Amino acid sequence: MSKLIAVLESDAPHKEKVDACRQLGLVGTKDAVPVLAELLGDEKLAHMARYALEPIPDPVVDDALRDALGQVKGRLLVGVIASIGVRRDAKAVKPLVSLLKNADAEVVRAAAKTLGRIGGSEVADELKQTLADAPGALRPAVADACLGCAEVLLAADKRTEAAAMYQSVAQAELPKHFRVAAAQGAIQAR
Amino acid sequence: MSKQPRSSDGRVSRQREPLPVEAAGTSSLSRRQFLRRAAAAGGLAAAPFIIPASARGQDGAVAPSERIVLGGIGIGGRGSGDLNWMMGEKDVQFVAVCDAKKSQREKVKKMVDGRYGNSDCATYRDIREFLAEREDVDAVLIATGDRWHALASVMAMRAGKDVYSEKPSCMTIAEGRAVVETARRYGRIYQTGTQRLSEAKFTVANELLRTGRLGKVHTVRAHIAPWDAAEMNYDWRPAEPEPSRDEVDWDQWLGPCPWRPFNAAYVRGGWRGYYDFHTSCIGEWGAHTFAQCQVAIGAGDTSAIEYQYVNNPTGDGMVTKFANGIKMILSRGNTWWRGSCGVRYEGTEGWVAVADGYAKPEVSSPALLADSQKLVEDYTARTRHPMSHVRDLFDCVKSRRQTVANPEVMYRSMTTVHAANICMWLKRDLKYDPVKEEFVDDAEANRLRSRAMREPWII
Repeated sequence: MSKLIAVLESDAPHKEKVDACRQLGLVGTKDAVPVLAELLGDEKLAHMARYALEPIPDPVVDDALRDALGQVKGRLLVGVIASIGVRRDAKAVKPLVSLLKNADAEVVRAAAKTLGRIGGSEVADELKQTLADAPGALRPAVADACLGCAEVLLAADKRTEAAAMYQSVAQAELPKHFRVAAAQGAIQAR
Repeated sequence: MSKQPRSSDGRVSRQREPLPVEAAGTSSLSRRQFLRRAAAAGGLAAAPFIIPASARGQDGAVAPSERIVLGGIGIGGRGSGDLNWMMGEKDVQFVAVCDAKKSQREKVKKMVDGRYGNSDCATYRDIREFLAEREDVDAVLIATGDRWHALASVMAMRAGKDVYSEKPSCMTIAEGRAVVETARRYGRIYQTGTQRLSEAKFTVANELLRTGRLGKVHTVRAHIAPWDAAEMNYDWRPAEPEPSRDEVDWDQWLGPCPWRPFNAAYVRGGWRGYYDFHTSCIGEWGAHTFAQCQVAIGAGDTSAIEYQYVNNPTGDGMVTKFANGIKMILSRGNTWWRGSCGVRYEGTEGWVAVADGYAKPEVSSPALLADSQKLVEDYTARTRHPMSHVRDLFDCVKSRRQTVANPEVMYRSMTTVHAANICMWLKRDLKYDPVKEEFVDDAEANRLRSRAMREPWII
């Protein structure tokens, strides 16, 4: 693994660094996290850094991704948010909630999606409010997040809270399939 | 099916360029609300209204309200075959194609417009724009390369569309799970393109097994593609100048995959064999044959639990095992059948083998085929799945029943595909727990269950 890290720290060609990231996704440990975290702001290697980081089962990865939330913007920020969602890092709820008010609609969509995956009571309250305030173009993504959050609540047997989430989706002005999903969910939450 | 405006011949109006919100004044109105207001304003009553017989569902035509409005995403060679098949269904109307390649968009439009005798087929480069704009589309045919199948399916279902996705329908185990969850969340109908599950000769084989005529089945054999390998290519083709975004939207073509420099060979179909884009010779045909075998042995809702590594480049001869004790053996050649996508089921009382090109299955005893026709008739009566894969989809779009190749069947059979690939890549035997959906005591294998998607794509 040290050789792979060394490639990333060197002036090796781009392709070699891509391959090193891919390999670190398979064998990387927390020792590889600092160098990969540095790449989260690199336009050309940010994705491959996440490709390596996402599967490393060490909480320092979550720390690194959370730190990156305040450091990167635009597409790269969307990517970081997505990786946090894959890892379902509950400690990221607070910074993600603040991103629900970001000026970049893609960032808001990603933050909502990831919050929906993480779930929990605090997330539910924030997503319901965001859904109520969301402009039309953002509403489907936030509603999808609400449905995801409701499923997490349901899995945790928090039926009353799940039912409230489904109700909020049912009441929002959304295409029919969202209302169908909310109705289906509400039945399950009974 | 759709509630979007249609022209007087019953076809859905083209909506390529929506009116600005201010001009349309309908952004928050449903179609019915809009029509009601427009009628109240006299706009609809002013013109004489002649409704042709075809639009009323007479003359053998299907009434517009009963037509399924179809769109296409990434329609190439295989997709064109699917599309021709689908357009042959009287209750289907194709209205729009989305493709990162301009030449392909135009080719499909020409084909569709030629068939309908109009110029209505709309074209889109960006899948997000397509899904956001075309609220009239009920269902989509997804026939991109493997890399886009699951993501496009999930995006389409989130947009309220039903889906026919070509196979292999997911690049990773995690992608397959996302397809299942999205379909379930939104109550969407989904069919993966394993069309042999809707062919009579393959159905006869499955029914011989299911009805116990082969005795206790101990082994099934599944064909894997005799080209490519399980070993994947990680190289890049040489960089070439990137075309304009309108000609080939390279960023969109790559989608969730790692970036690499443009080379025209990829977009001409030369993406097979590359780890980022393809699911290997095992996925190429295993997507079909594993699904066939798993449905046959009653394992459509689970995956193989053991994978025995074979020291060759292809996976030929790999023995996998299901929790019910049945072995499924991967076979690359034509030892057990003649033709493509073969399967063979072996029991204590007999065997059956079938592949493309067969008029009827091969069997250990002719008596097994004595009532083949009845086996198929009983199957269709019992399951209500017809012997047409696209008809099955469209029937289910209307009835909201599950298709024969529903998300769970796709996910579980593709999990077996991916686990077999991972076994070959790690060069060791693996055990998989289909309940926990993880490999047993193998951290590296578990890491290969998903791949981070390139921003801005999220599944």
